[in-house]
Amino acid sequence: KLGHPSELPPEPLPNYEADEDFLRRLHHVLLEVEVLEGSLQCPDSGRRFPISRGVPNMLLSEEET
Amino acid sequence: PGAVPPHRPGLVKMSSAEPGRFFCTAGRGLEPFLAREVRARLGATEVDCVSGKVFFRAAAAPDELRKLRSGERLFLLLKKHSPLPVSGSKGKMLHEIKRFVIEEPKYWLDVISVWRKLHGHEGKTDDVSQENTLVLKRKSEEETNTASKRQKMERVRAIVSEECQVEAGERCVAPERMRGQEYWTESKTSSEFPSKGSGENPTANEKLSFSFRVSCRCSGAIAKILTSQEIGRVIGIALVKQCGWRADLRDPDVEIFVHLNDIHSVVGIPLFRLPLANREYIRTAGLRSTVAWAMASLAEISAGALVLDPMCGLGTILLEAAKEWPEACYWGADISDSQLEGADGNIRTAGLMDKIELLRASVKALPLPSESFDSVISDIPFGKKFKITNDAQLLPDILQEMERVVRVGGTIVLLLSQDLRKRMDGLTKCAGSDSPEATADGNSEAAPAKVLSVDGNSSSLAGGVGKSFLSSRHFGSLVPDGVYAVSLGKTDAFIHKYRKVSAAGN
Repeated sequence: KLGHPSELPPEPLPNYEADEDFLRRLHHVLLEVEVLEGSLQCPDSGRRFPISRGVPNMLLSEEET
Repeated sequence: PGAVPPHRPGLVKMSSAEPGRFFCTAGRGLEPFLAREVRARLGATEVDCVSGKVFFRAAAAPDELRKLRSGERLFLLLKKHSPLPVSGSKGKMLHEIKRFVIEEPKYWLDVISVWRKLHGHEGKTDDVSQENTLVLKRKSEEETNTASKRQKMERVRAIVSEECQVEAGERCVAPERMRGQEYWTESKTSSEFPSKGSGENPTANEKLSFSFRVSCRCSGAIAKILTSQEIGRVIGIALVKQCGWRADLRDPDVEIFVHLNDIHSVVGIPLFRLPLANREYIRTAGLRSTVAWAMASLAEISAGALVLDPMCGLGTILLEAAKEWPEACYWGADISDSQLEGADGNIRTAGLMDKIELLRASVKALPLPSESFDSVISDIPFGKKFKITNDAQLLPDILQEMERVVRVGGTIVLLLSQDLRKRMDGLTKCAGSDSPEATADGNSEAAPAKVLSVDGNSSSLAGGVGKSFLSSRHFGSLVPDGVYAVSLGKTDAFIHKYRKVSAAGN
């Protein structure tokens, strides 16, 4: 969910290893895009960790620890 | 043992391929790291380590020498003798010192041309000889000398303060431990170059002559008879008379460094204006960069390694490590937003954004998988300046997380205060040993201690019985692998290295 909805399919297509175009876009998203403002979401709890100036804030509140 | 044979001025011609003799000052405790570094990085030979200095011979160009990371200031070695004989008479001592330092003008011309060649000032040798011939013909400049010597002392003080002020952050390290006298003094005279009596135009004077400054340090037996100022002044005057140079405190062409103590008598010329410890890639300094580098050098960082500093502050350790071992991945975490901002600025200044990842997190609850890092390196904050007030009580929690995220076979390198290291030693004692420290700790005020049982659940244990049990079980997986005492200027600290030999609970 990086604001590039049209660039990546929701799931990898079969035989994606051979799809150079897909691989290039995946590489871009994984290694070349730096999130400056946004959030990380825990896949289990859904808890969002805000990212500001490129640094995610992973501090837990009192109740969470 | 025995006297060091006097060094004769044989080094006239030097290119980057030819060996030269150097010495480099080092913060107390870092000398072994520096000795190892000059051998490894420069292929140095004749490495001689004394308190606060490492002497060596190497065939290296200035840009290679500049890469030294654990030293403070680097000097071209001119003379290294055994300690000067001390007599009760000041006059006699000063005479001895002059005899030691001052040589024929040609010697100094050779030295200057060597030094200039090192700095790529080829072809200026002629100018220097011309300058000197001109200046030698000038009349006596006694008044100029006196004023400039006093300026010299003021300047010398400023230089040392600059070196100490390098750290904008919490720690400041003095370049050397000075056991004897300090060489700066309060001076009330203002700076001026009176031209009366010399009959020359002072501006023309300055343009033509080669300028210098003498930095003198003395300690031990000599310091009981003479002060550094007196010695510096005498040497300065003698050099002006001998070579016709001009004393300049603000921006001299060259600095002559004289160090006299009970171990040796040394004369050298600093190769660079700024200490090596000033890194151009660090914007805001925290921990002394030399100590940070030394810690990283112990962590055994290999290609592809993942390295974490879970209390990274301004990121100094990560910066030093990433510069030296760029083929690894570095992560830094801190709870303070302002510290992380500073770290971010440092990382950008250094151009290391793709090497160092930052996280705002608590070292007591790291959002990182177990056994995911090859090495944890950290300067555990101590002292009243930091928010962590009861460091000693928090240490087990901090250590628990560090131990958890390091893989088996990985290293943990920590910088600890005297208090913290005692606590640390108590926590990392091997299972079965019944050290009085482990039980006598001031931990009794803590409520039930947490102990990781074999299945990973936390259980509470009350009372003192649990404490040594806690110690021996909790961190038996961390085996001490070296302790290094280092000076941080006003305080001493200890670098502790550990290796994780098994998962906790095994």
